[in-house]
Amino acid sequence: MAHDAHHDHHGDAHGYDHGHAHWDTSIWPFVISFGILFLAVAFSYQFVYHNGFAAILCLGLAVPMIIAGIAGWTSEAMGKGEGLSYGAMGWFILAEAMIFVSFFVGYWYTRLHTEVWPPAGTIELPRLMPMVMTAVLVGSSLTIHYAEHLLHLGNKGGFRLWYLVTIVMGAVFLGMSIYEWSHLMHQGFTISTNSFSTVFFSITGLHGSHVVVGLAIFLAGLPSVIRGDIDEGFMRTAGLYWHFVDVIWFFVVSQVYYW
Amino acid sequence: MNLKEWIFTTDHKRVGVLYLIGSIAAFGIAGIMALLMRAELSTLGPTITSNPATYNVWLYTHGAVMILGFQIPALTGFFANYCIPLMIGAKDVAFPRVNALSVWLFYVGVILACLTFFLPDPPDVMWTGYPPYSIMTTGNTAMYSFTVLILGFASIIGGVNFLTTVAYMRAPGLTLNKLNIFVWCTLAAFVLQLIFVPVLGTAVTLISMDKYLGTHFFDPAAGGDVLTYQNLFWFYSHPAVYVIFLPFIGVVYEIITAHSKNMVFNYKMVVYGGVGGIVALSGVVWVHHLYVSGMADWLRIGQMITTLMISIPVGLMMIGLIGTLYKGSIAFTTPMLYALGVVFLFLIGGLTGVPLALPSLTIGVSDTYYVVGHFHYVMAVAGTFAIFGGVYHWFPKVTGKMYNEFWGKLGFWLTFIGVNITFWIMMDVGVKGMPRRYYDYAHFPQFESAHQWMTVGAAILGVGFALAVLNWIMGAINGKKALDNPWGSPSLEWSTVSPPPHGNWPTPPSVSEDWHPYGFKKD
Amino acid sequence: MLKKKFTAIALGLTLSASSLLASASAEPASAGAAAAAKINDPAKGWDTLWYHVIRDISIIGVLFALVTAWFIWQSRRRPGNEVGASPKLSAASAVGWTVIPIFVFLSIDLYTAANGWVLWNHYRDVPAQRMEVKLESGMYSWDYTYANGVRTQNELIVPAGTPVVLRMTSRDTLHSHYIPDFRVKEDSMPGRVTYLWFNPEKPGEHIVTCAEYCGVMHGYMAGRVIVKAPEEYAAWMQQEETKLAAANAPAVAEAPAEVAKPAAKATKKI
Ligand code: HEA
Ligand code: HEA
Ligand code: CUA
Ligand SMILES: [Cu+2]
Repeated sequence: MAHDAHHDHHGDAHGYDHGHAHWDTSIWPFVISFGILFLAVAFSYQFVYHNGFAAILCLGLAVPMIIAGIAGWTSEAMGKGEGLSYGAMGWFILAEAMIFVSFFVGYWYTRLHTEVWPPAGTIELPRLMPMVMTAVLVGSSLTIHYAEHLLHLGNKGGFRLWYLVTIVMGAVFLGMSIYEWSHLMHQGFTISTNSFSTVFFSITGLHGSHVVVGLAIFLAGLPSVIRGDIDEGFMRTAGLYWHFVDVIWFFVVSQVYYW
Repeated sequence: MNLKEWIFTTDHKRVGVLYLIGSIAAFGIAGIMALLMRAELSTLGPTITSNPATYNVWLYTHGAVMILGFQIPALTGFFANYCIPLMIGAKDVAFPRVNALSVWLFYVGVILACLTFFLPDPPDVMWTGYPPYSIMTTGNTAMYSFTVLILGFASIIGGVNFLTTVAYMRAPGLTLNKLNIFVWCTLAAFVLQLIFVPVLGTAVTLISMDKYLGTHFFDPAAGGDVLTYQNLFWFYSHPAVYVIFLPFIGVVYEIITAHSKNMVFNYKMVVYGGVGGIVALSGVVWVHHLYVSGMADWLRIGQMITTLMISIPVGLMMIGLIGTLYKGSIAFTTPMLYALGVVFLFLIGGLTGVPLALPSLTIGVSDTYYVVGHFHYVMAVAGTFAIFGGVYHWFPKVTGKMYNEFWGKLGFWLTFIGVNITFWIMMDVGVKGMPRRYYDYAHFPQFESAHQWMTVGAAILGVGFALAVLNWIMGAINGKKALDNPWGSPSLEWSTVSPPPHGNWPTPPSVSEDWHPYGFKKD
Repeated sequence: MLKKKFTAIALGLTLSASSLLASASAEPASAGAAAAAKINDPAKGWDTLWYHVIRDISIIGVLFALVTAWFIWQSRRRPGNEVGASPKLSAASAVGWTVIPIFVFLSIDLYTAANGWVLWNHYRDVPAQRMEVKLESGMYSWDYTYANGVRTQNELIVPAGTPVVLRMTSRDTLHSHYIPDFRVKEDSMPGRVTYLWFNPEKPGEHIVTCAEYCGVMHGYMAGRVIVKAPEEYAAWMQQEETKLAAANAPAVAEAPAEVAKPAAKATKKI
């Protein structure tokens, strides 16, 4: 959402006499919001009232509304960026970082208050896989940086190539996470095993969800990349978010895998 | 009037008005919950319900909706949206659609909070949602988590929006030392929101994960720790009280300068010492809510001192307000009465926080009505007065019409009397031992008459608030036409017509060297 | 010139504040050394300190309110006073109006903090001469276990004249064991042991009430502390022990008798 456009001023000269001048509107924020309402209701139906049917029904309302909302919004606003989104993304990242901070603090607080760590039931975590994952993610940060560099030089073809490579690497990372999760779960290590598994799955899951969001932003920009009318401000903002996702991974890896 | 252009609007003024309508409705609903609670407490034993669980749901809704659905949205939603672009001479905010998203998310949050009345097993976790109870209860804790998450997210994107707006979209010549105090205060509040809301979001997500997805964050049997939640929660919720305090004191500054036509006293002290000091300290005092929660002993000393030190920046802001009155030209309009009310009554609220800052004294009064009295004086009295005064102050701008002074003043005096009866007595019974969150005080029969007085006070203040809301509704429908600048203020929001058109000014203003938002001149 | 004056004032204030701090924190040390047997009863300290702090904040509040009222009165709008005329502050007085209040407020804060901390230490330093009781709270009762295994529910019976320390935990939600008459409360929770102590001096009854929201019946979760004269207490304990012994008849019934007396372990801190 950080790439929203400054609204375009139809009929620019708003004189004081134009009492009935046109007021800008957009229905998408409304649609997304109520999509989220149904999402919340769906969660309640599923987990609180154990009414799967109603839950599916609400989900069936929520998901299309949210997707349509995002798509409508993007197409309405894309290309009209004011260049403010980069700065705004900085603030947004501050807020995002605080989510991770609180997860980590919760983790440290728990960990430093127990005598035995990891608690009983914890299995040996793989050591090689996270290394590879780190390499892939760092690599993707470099490729998007390089792509932006090329775009800045005006090389759209080069940009497109490295942009796609970044998306693929992100997807590979995600695939490896999923593989690892299912591997661990097969060994009986699930989110409810003990407090360490709780921390492990929630922190890696939280990070994973950010990878998903980062990829989604890239995908939202993909049509314009293919068409060739690339919005540089949007790309820089998307890149910034991706770097953030990358940096957070270092904390995740060092704190939950190797400590 | 074109309804579609209101509901789907992206204009900051209309978004602001939507915020105002929603938050006042939320106030009405939560206020009615308060009256129900007061009615219940007016006699020993069951009065209007014989089910304690019902009372707990009222209390939950009252606390959560008042804070998250009324005060924070009214202040950082309505006032910020309506005033900030106008005060900095911008046509709109940086991201108008994000703004629209934030107001509708706010509505969704309030709707979720109010679904409470229609749900089987409504949430009953109080606004603090402490585990293990929030995890063990049969109540719908998920609703609590989602309400908080959605309102929190609405606030975060609002924050991103306004920080960007003020950073990049100020009118030419409008330097940082010429921003309205309200703008400074609200920016500071948004910075706090950006830093701390995510922590709250995490905390409430974790309880729902523990309850519904089987995790063990707060389960000691599996190595978790129940106190983690309390730390995360207060790490946000203490700064949250300054998210309320800062904008409301900013509103009071706007009112007092305009209605005494006076330069603000010692601007830089107020901004850098007051606002800056509060931001700097607000993140390191949360432990004062955990003095009796059973943490390690030594953890308290540092935050005892920082908590007390909050009195320094807050005191500077009080000096700024009182100094502004000096040699002013004070008109006793309705907004000014509310603002002066804040000056006196916030002193009571703030100063009664001082004994609470000491762990040793808190041991006696924590979780009693003394605390309830303290925070109603700061929020329900000072905060609400500031909001009501602010609505009156900008009423001519927002609607282009005038409210009725007589009914306005009557409403003010009724509330003024009511709050002092209700909340003063609260502090008194609290010191004598009356614990909070009690459906019935069967083993404290000696407090029955005190509780009755509180109920009487609540009825009086309720009438006062309702009069004010009615006054607005009547004024908006058929008030007299207002001047564009009825208070004669040089602040930029008064330099356009009332109500301002889309885009605010035909040509965006720029300000000259000797202009200042508080540079009042004889007219 | 002016600057110098400010620095002098500021320095003076800080010095006086820190000396207050020092004198206040010096007190418990000397008192503790002089008479090890003296019990710093927090309840009395609470009443005194509460009174002092309320007095201090009232003075501050009344002062601010009076000044405000005076300003409002003398600058009300009237003919000849249509627009405010506050004097423009010079740079020096602007700084002065910031720095002086800061130091005044800071010294009040530090003074208050020092007194508060002294009392806090009394609250947390359990006297050596004490009796220990375990408490498990649950929805919705207070379950006490004495050192000798005697159990009571919602009634804590103690001898007058002996400080009592409760070691508390909970089997379900949070609760808070609040005895208004003794000015103490502390939360109990699963997974941790917390403590509080109080000094019942005279025989009598005191209400215990729950001060942390714990569920539907939170408001009804009450009990009593019953302080008995030492002889009466001993008699009661004797009786309970016999009952207990009868209940565990086959088990070894010798041991408890002497543990029943106040535990005289001399560890000072928890
Ligand atoms: C807008 C909201 C708001 C504001 C501004 C404040 C302001 C303060 N609060 Fe309050 N507080 C709440 C809302 C607020 N609070 C709420 C909602 C709760 C309860 C939550 C719950 O449990 O549900 C609470 C609870 C609460 C507690 C926990 C009590 C308990 O549960 O045991 C404490 C403890 O320290 C505390 C202290 C303070 C202090 C020291 C200030 C200070 O900021 C006050 C500073 C102001 C002044 C001191 C007056 C003006 C200054 C001067 C005149 C200068 C001179 C003065 C001196 C030198 C002392 N508050
Ligand atoms: C901003 C915050 C705020 C505000 C304004 C209020 C306002 C009031 N509060 Fe509230 N209160 C809290 C925040 C607030 N409170 C919190 C956080 C708690 C703790 C919750 C917890 O423990 O978890 C609490 C708890 C609390 C309790 C403690 C209960 C207990 O512990 O058992 C009580 C008891 O009397 C009380 C009373 C009142 C009363 C009488 C008002 C009155 O001022 C209300 C007056 C308002 C009205 C009567 C409405 C007026 C009508 C209208 C405006 C018309 C509306 C019109 C339309 C909709 C068209 N409150
Ligand atoms: Cu037990 Cu409240
Ligand atoms: Cu606080």
